[in-house]
Amino acid sequence: MEKTKLITRPINWNKIEDQVDLDVWNRLTQNFWLPEKVPLSNDIQSWETLRPHEKKLTMHVFTGLTMLDTIQGTVGATSLIPDARTQHEEAVITNIAFMESVHAKSYSSVFSTLTSTAEIDEAFRWSEDNPHLQKKAEIILGYYNGDDPLKRKVASTLLESFLFYSGFYLPMYWSSRAKLTNTADLIRLIIRDEAIHGYYIGYKYQQALAEESTTRQEEMRGYTYDLLLELYENEIKYTADLYDEIGLTADVKKFLHYNGNKALMNLGYDPLFPKDECEVSPAILAALSPNADENHDFFSGSGSSYVIGKHESTTDDDWDF
Amino acid sequence: MANQIVELDDNGVATGKTGIESAMSYHELNAMINLWDTEGKMQLEKDKLAVRKYFLDHVNQNTVFFHSLKERLDYLVENEYYEKEVLDQYRFEFIEELEKLAYSKKFRFEAFMGAYKFYTGYALKTFDGARYLERFEDRVVMVALALAEGKEEIAISMVEEIISGRFQPATPTFLNCGKKQRGEFVSCFLLRIEDNMESISRGINSALQLSKRGGGVALSLSNIREYGAPIKKIEGQSSGIIPVMKLLEDSFSYANQLGARQGAGAVYLNAHHPDILRFLDTKRENADEKIRIKTLSIGVVVPDITMHLAKDNEDMYLFSPYDVEKVYGIPFGDISVTEKYQEMVDDPRIKKQKIKARTLFERIAELQFESGYPYVMYEDTVNAANPIEGRINMSNLCSEILQVNTPTTYNADLSYDNIGKDISCNLGSLNIAMAMDGPDFAKTIETSIRALTAVSDQSDIESVRSISDGNHKSHAIGLGQMNLHGYLAREHIHYGSEEALDFTNMYFYTVVYNAIKASNKIAIERKSHFDNFENSKYASGEYFEKYTDQVWAPATPKVKELFENSNIHIPTQSDWEELKQSVMKHGIYNQNLQAVPPTGSISYINNSTSSIHPIASRIEIRKEGKLGRVYYPAPFLSEDTWDYYDDAYEVGPDKIIDTYAVATQHVDQGLSLTLFFKDTATTRDVNRAQIYAWRKGIKTIYYIRIRQQALMGTEVDSCVSCML
Repeated sequence: MEKTKLITRPINWNKIEDQVDLDVWNRLTQNFWLPEKVPLSNDIQSWETLRPHEKKLTMHVFTGLTMLDTIQGTVGATSLIPDARTQHEEAVITNIAFMESVHAKSYSSVFSTLTSTAEIDEAFRWSEDNPHLQKKAEIILGYYNGDDPLKRKVASTLLESFLFYSGFYLPMYWSSRAKLTNTADLIRLIIRDEAIHGYYIGYKYQQALAEESTTRQEEMRGYTYDLLLELYENEIKYTADLYDEIGLTADVKKFLHYNGNKALMNLGYDPLFPKDECEVSPAILAALSPNADENHDFFSGSGSSYVIGKHESTTDDDWDF
Repeated sequence: MANQIVELDDNGVATGKTGIESAMSYHELNAMINLWDTEGKMQLEKDKLAVRKYFLDHVNQNTVFFHSLKERLDYLVENEYYEKEVLDQYRFEFIEELEKLAYSKKFRFEAFMGAYKFYTGYALKTFDGARYLERFEDRVVMVALALAEGKEEIAISMVEEIISGRFQPATPTFLNCGKKQRGEFVSCFLLRIEDNMESISRGINSALQLSKRGGGVALSLSNIREYGAPIKKIEGQSSGIIPVMKLLEDSFSYANQLGARQGAGAVYLNAHHPDILRFLDTKRENADEKIRIKTLSIGVVVPDITMHLAKDNEDMYLFSPYDVEKVYGIPFGDISVTEKYQEMVDDPRIKKQKIKARTLFERIAELQFESGYPYVMYEDTVNAANPIEGRINMSNLCSEILQVNTPTTYNADLSYDNIGKDISCNLGSLNIAMAMDGPDFAKTIETSIRALTAVSDQSDIESVRSISDGNHKSHAIGLGQMNLHGYLAREHIHYGSEEALDFTNMYFYTVVYNAIKASNKIAIERKSHFDNFENSKYASGEYFEKYTDQVWAPATPKVKELFENSNIHIPTQSDWEELKQSVMKHGIYNQNLQAVPPTGSISYINNSTSSIHPIASRIEIRKEGKLGRVYYPAPFLSEDTWDYYDDAYEVGPDKIIDTYAVATQHVDQGLSLTLFFKDTATTRDVNRAQIYAWRKGIKTIYYIRIRQQALMGTEVDSCVSCML
């Protein structure tokens, strides 16, 4: 049998096939951050004002999020690499995978700053025992391990743009009530990343889909809505598990609808949930804004808006005085 | 959706009518101003609803009710909420009249942010924190009573000025006056640290004591020997300034003002200190935890020589403070590096290192992108403009305090050998729009100067002797300004335009005249002036030359008209001549008079734009520990003023620098100047702005802010601040 000869090409960033790769790469590297940036310990006082069931809820929400980021960092993002359309896309995805691991680790920073080992262990036990959380992981992992690259992308986008948000709701809710505001800053940094990840993977999906046959396109459309509904059904049970006690389930659901539509939009599809079922509490919606127009000073912590700067040397003209 | 408004009577109590919106919380109503409505219009009226709702659902229900003023004051004194000594200076009938006067002004919070901030941060609460014991009017009366020191007429003027929004004392003063359990009234402290362990440990001790009591503390590290410098002549022993920074950072996070405000600190270092690059790298995103500085602010002191070396693209030498002090007999910070540069380069006794001057500036800019820090102080510009004898070698946490200091020395048992002079400054700001609208501009300024002077008189920080001695000698105060952009927008002038610069120039020109006049009046009344007045440029008359030798008048018809309509007298050359004679004869009471702070919290309460900056955003998102996310619309924002509210990123650094430059020439201390860049900017743009600022005579640069827009396709639907 004749061997096929594999040629390895070095990545050439001076020859960009898809401008979006470069834009997203630049944005992601500019956005690079580590949890140590956020002065979480300023939230200790605030944490102590939460009632026991509110603390437990917060812990559970964060373990749930840790779980999703673990999947996305170790399996999800990396499973997308073989399907990459360009070498630059591969590079972007490695960045995504790494940042997902940073996210997973930052929840641990929140835990270790605010709570005790016993509470942390309880929360992690809960994540192993909660059937809906496990089901969520199972569904997504199923597609990541499957062999359809388009389905992998759909699953990944839904995870990035939809599944995270039942968890993101809570820190945004706390911060709109002046609780755990530094933790909320950290979550906002995560949201800032996830928004780009979801957008980018969705974009790559649309590109790949455009090359497929009409039948295949139709199949994928049906599949996407089916998967979203399957995840949605599980997600509302998960949401009820978490939020019933505090009475926020209805509002979180609207938030899920809102983000479900957003995920579909990223994949290039029409919204599924009618507009009036997406009316998220304005406080939460406004708190989500990933823009860096927040104003802060030394009394309010570093915020979520600084970026790594572009270096450019000054020239003699600049110093002409 | 039909907006049925909840009706309230004058006391903010609901009349019983409710509507659809009553189902929404005030947080949600407030957040709606950051979202477009279904027809794509702004929903500014929602913020007014949020204020009403906040009073209805929260404030009124949680306020302790008293039948009479007498009952209220007795209760508050007995239970140790109010300071008896403050009230005892007045007749009860007078206090009653003053309360009536305050309530007759029908004060209403214009923005939810203001009301929320006042009640969460300033109003007196029961000890369990559950209920309010004061409304805004009560706080104003208490502040006036405390600062008027028993003088009824002055108390009345203070209530008039504060409740009308013309004058607003800084947070520590406004928060603490008249309260029995309280911190100090002073905002800001600046300490020297000398190159010995006694001074370092005293510095840390003082940092703890001062942040326990009040606002921010800044320390100068320029005198401390560098990494690897000898200790007791043994080379390679010193660990430099980073460990000192660590100790300070931990001290500040430990101490806070009864939980009211987190301790905050800054450290300054001369650009020619050998640890300068290590100092900057503490703010790196990926710095090692051992050297990473998260919450301590940093500032760099830049002499002119550094700028010139960078211009010629030369190396710059860094000098060992240990050697410099040995050679010159005075601490490194007290030496003008510009003056002695060549001499120190040629002196073999002084150990030095060298780096590329431009590398330093590029490093500074990189760090500013990543963290907003360091602040920059242009040392020689500051000292050239300083009318007081001595040397200015550092600034403070907001980079607007610029005063001279002298070192303290200690005995072996840590007691004082010779107490030097350290710096404190209490602040308060005028709301430019309200001051322009007021009936008597000169009186507004005089009352403000008196209020600030009273704070200085009443302050005695016993735990830090160099501070209390310095304060008793200097009576330094800092009158600031805010709502410049608000005023300009209301008058349909674009920020940074020719008319705006003309107005800013004439406004500050008029302020400085009236401020010096008020301080002179106090000196005459008390037959006393600040210590070492004799050797100041006020005493020699030199300070007044720029005002007596040339005519200052509005250059544009618009600005001339504004001052005429406001009925404000613009001082003439002969006014200045007269003032000069009086000052040279009687002196002035305050060593320093003006400093323009960034005005965070108080500008929200006062419904102002911050300081003399352009707005950060038409709808500003503010995050604070005690507040969560709150949305603050620019004052006077409407369809009509919309176009005049370009935000700071659109305005760009040059116009901001121009605005500050015309103001700076009339301000004896500094002005907190933040520069704003879009994320398309590079370190080179930041460097260019720094060079431009230095050329225009700017004294200090505070934060650098970079705005990053959401990537296309990732914005939140219908979010106002995303669309702008």
